[in-house]
Amino acid sequence: MAKFIIRRFFLLLLTMFLVSIAVFLIAESSPGNVARNVLGSFITPEQEASFLAQMGLDKPIWQRYLYWLTGSDWHAEKKVGLPLKRITTPKGFEEWWAVGEGGNLLRWKMEGEDLIAVVKPPDSETFERPANDRWQTYPEGGSYFWGIDTANHAVRWEKGSGETVWNFVMGSGWMAATGGPAEYIPLKKGFVRGDPGVSLRTGRPVSKSIFVRLRNSLVLAGIAFAIVMPIALFLGILAGLKEGSLPDRFLSISGMMFSVIPEFATGIFLILIFSHWLDLVPGATVFGEKAPWERIDMLILPVLTLTLIELGYILRITRASMAEVMRSSYIRTAFLKGLPYWRVVFRHAVRNALIAPITVIMLHVNWLMGGIVIVEVVFGYPGLGKYLLDSALYKDINALEAGTMIMVMVAVGTQLIADVIYTFLNPRIRYG
Amino acid sequence: MRQEGKLHPLVKELKLDLETGKLSRREFLRYSTLVGLSATAAFGMAGLASPRKLLAAQIIHRGGTLKVSSPIQKVTHPAQFSWVAPSQQLRQVAEYLTWTDSNNITRPYLLENWEASEDLKTWTLNLRQGIKFNNGDEFTADDVLFTMNQWLDKDVGSSLMGMVGHYLDPTGIEKTSNHQVVLHLKRAEIAVPEHLFHYPALILNHRTFEGDFIKRPHGTGPYTLEMYREGERCVVKRREDYWQMGADQKPLPYMDSIEFIDMGAEMAAQISAIRAGEIDTIDLSDAGGTDVYQALKDDPDINIQPATTSQARVLRMRADLKPWTDNRVRKALKLCQHREKILALAYFGQGIQGQDFHVYPKHPEYCKKDTPQYDTEKAKQFLKEAGYPDGLDVNLAVGSEWTDVVRFAEVLKQDAAPAGFRINIRTMPNSQYWEKWTEVDLGITPWTHRPLGTMVLNLAFTADEAGKPVAWNETRWVDEEFSKLLNQANGTLDVDERRKIFCKLEDIQMERGSIGIPYWRNVWMVTRSRVENVESHPNLYMLFNTVWLKKS
Repeated sequence: MAKFIIRRFFLLLLTMFLVSIAVFLIAESSPGNVARNVLGSFITPEQEASFLAQMGLDKPIWQRYLYWLTGSDWHAEKKVGLPLKRITTPKGFEEWWAVGEGGNLLRWKMEGEDLIAVVKPPDSETFERPANDRWQTYPEGGSYFWGIDTANHAVRWEKGSGETVWNFVMGSGWMAATGGPAEYIPLKKGFVRGDPGVSLRTGRPVSKSIFVRLRNSLVLAGIAFAIVMPIALFLGILAGLKEGSLPDRFLSISGMMFSVIPEFATGIFLILIFSHWLDLVPGATVFGEKAPWERIDMLILPVLTLTLIELGYILRITRASMAEVMRSSYIRTAFLKGLPYWRVVFRHAVRNALIAPITVIMLHVNWLMGGIVIVEVVFGYPGLGKYLLDSALYKDINALEAGTMIMVMVAVGTQLIADVIYTFLNPRIRYG
Repeated sequence: MRQEGKLHPLVKELKLDLETGKLSRREFLRYSTLVGLSATAAFGMAGLASPRKLLAAQIIHRGGTLKVSSPIQKVTHPAQFSWVAPSQQLRQVAEYLTWTDSNNITRPYLLENWEASEDLKTWTLNLRQGIKFNNGDEFTADDVLFTMNQWLDKDVGSSLMGMVGHYLDPTGIEKTSNHQVVLHLKRAEIAVPEHLFHYPALILNHRTFEGDFIKRPHGTGPYTLEMYREGERCVVKRREDYWQMGADQKPLPYMDSIEFIDMGAEMAAQISAIRAGEIDTIDLSDAGGTDVYQALKDDPDINIQPATTSQARVLRMRADLKPWTDNRVRKALKLCQHREKILALAYFGQGIQGQDFHVYPKHPEYCKKDTPQYDTEKAKQFLKEAGYPDGLDVNLAVGSEWTDVVRFAEVLKQDAAPAGFRINIRTMPNSQYWEKWTEVDLGITPWTHRPLGTMVLNLAFTADEAGKPVAWNETRWVDEEFSKLLNQANGTLDVDERRKIFCKLEDIQMERGSIGIPYWRNVWMVTRSRVENVESHPNLYMLFNTVWLKKS
């Protein structure tokens, strides 16, 4: 068993690796332009170029993938020549600094032609000092400097490169400068070190948004799961026991009815009936600072929508499986042996009948996590599915990758759980 | 109030016009504030009570939290805004020098007043004194200087650079005292006060601003920024020492806080939420909102206030491409617009009919014209004269997500058939339309609201010095007489004089222009009925200083 689980774990890593490459390639080849998605259709070519450069999107795809996977700080460290460090300010902003001699944290900015260092000593106030001594010269003329700017990039500043740029400097007015920032490397630690980067769409670290979204989706899916499964299994077994009876016909037909109506239609109908017409529960989810479980009233309709869809589906699978088992010869033998009815049902029939539903249920956990996107959109629910949808629409690659990785983990993880459950249901199944 | 002698010469004339009945009170208010008279002074001269005093009669309830559904976008530098949405949140925290209200009247805001020289090339901005930023710094001319320089900084990349940069150089901004800034323009410009209210033009604190407003949210506005989580929530809280006084003689604002919640782009959930009272209003500035209007118009708990705007769906014909080079063909297609029908079917009658020139009745310089009639016989005749006796096939490009554009196109297709136009509607995603909106030969382009009549005319129907059509001249239509008259209008502050020029401009565009405008769109401010004193702004800007919430 342990060997089996370890093998599954490596399979998970391999799947994640392949999927992350696939997502990168698909996002790369799909039409659309992140800069225009984020900034609107009326940006100038200069604004677009500057946005792409600052986000690091002007780099070749293999380099972007490498940065995403392993981070960019090690590369930037080589260029800057100082160790880099990520700190979190008391206000909760993440900031990158270079670590200078004596533990002083350093950043730089350019004012006119002057390079200014922003120095943050370990336990006193931040101050600024000129740092023109750090310029290095190109062999072909002009000078450059690799440093950290105030917006978490490693930047190559240039001057004397021939191009004149006007910069406004407080206190001295407009100053002509020959140069400015020429290349950006957005700093991040990389996915393997637990930093999926910054969302291109919102500018917020993905890790800060995605876990809240994941939690919300887990809450919604979890509640729906906890309600659907017992009811569906129970009703399915009940219907399967007496195939063709009135309760069986009623359950099968109503189950089929709800599972064929698409969830957006069910959702809208439920909103119209229970929110607009009867005015019983809110028809949209607005949580604000509250967590979903603090506003249970808002969860009622989304959960109900999911329940109706799922219920019919699981119920019918269970029913079919149960009916088949009940017709099998060993059940007949058990009855002929004179065993009590309920003992035959629970000890002999149900265990075997559950194999098919468990497979479906475990596949549906994955579906619940990502597939509830429609329910989330209809109810404005801030979940992972909606986050992924928005990220995909904006080509927000960092957010999309992180979300996909979570989905892969959920998919492989639930499959593993299903495999383990099989061994309990049917002792003949062994892994090794 | 300022001394009579220092007023712009036009104010005296306007006052005379008001007394002799040449101007209505409303027009007087608009024009006198256009030239820099403060609103209070203008209301006083017009013999009206100040709106603030009128309000005092009502019982104002302080406190409460307003909940707004609005996109929370990434923001670093206010001057870089490319959508209205982020300004909705930061407008509560930082402020503008001027304020264009819902009637397109521009008033001083952080300014005490302004004065323009007769040639409109020198503008003196007098700053209001005693205003403090929320971090305690005093608001002075240095802040204005700093902010304007940010607009004109190439590296900042502000859209104001394209707007203000045309007539103002950084060297033309002069600080004459701690509370006075003089702008020396490169050429005459009448829309300076309007531009100062353009949504990215928030005034920044020059002592603390470092390129990221969220990290140091120091503005002069009535609220302070407590939380800004992109894609999720933004919370602003009332500050105690705001400079504007409420009708109850205590500092504004009336509400304790405003909470903005990002509910995504899907409207259904937001409609349900406002119905259920979970939110109080929906930010429709970047969203349109016809579906919201349709869904909520009969709800007794919700107030819907329309605002007439100069937003238009412009049927634009490339005047440099066949067959649209021939004015008779352009005229024929314009005659095929059944305006009443288009407005009714495309926008359920929620707007006013347009007249094929880009000036709308609420622009100060609008000159009244008769609305052209739908006439396929005449159109057919024009087509015949132009050499198309059997009619002609044309492709009409439309963005499919603008539902009213698509319906306008469908109505036009049907109504233009009798005249001989066989229109083939080519729908495409909006983003694709914006990729080639200036390139298609026939298309329908949405144009946004602008408060002065000259603004769009300068953007869309002129050429640069070399005679090349300007970047947004999507129809490449350049008319010598039109350009000359427009230049003249650009230098005419006297609104009566300007209107005389506009009568001619409008005639030219109706007669040989390159666009059809069947209707001007309404927009709606949608609020729960507990929200009091909300104005519906043509841009749907949220200015909530004096908004208050009824006791629940």
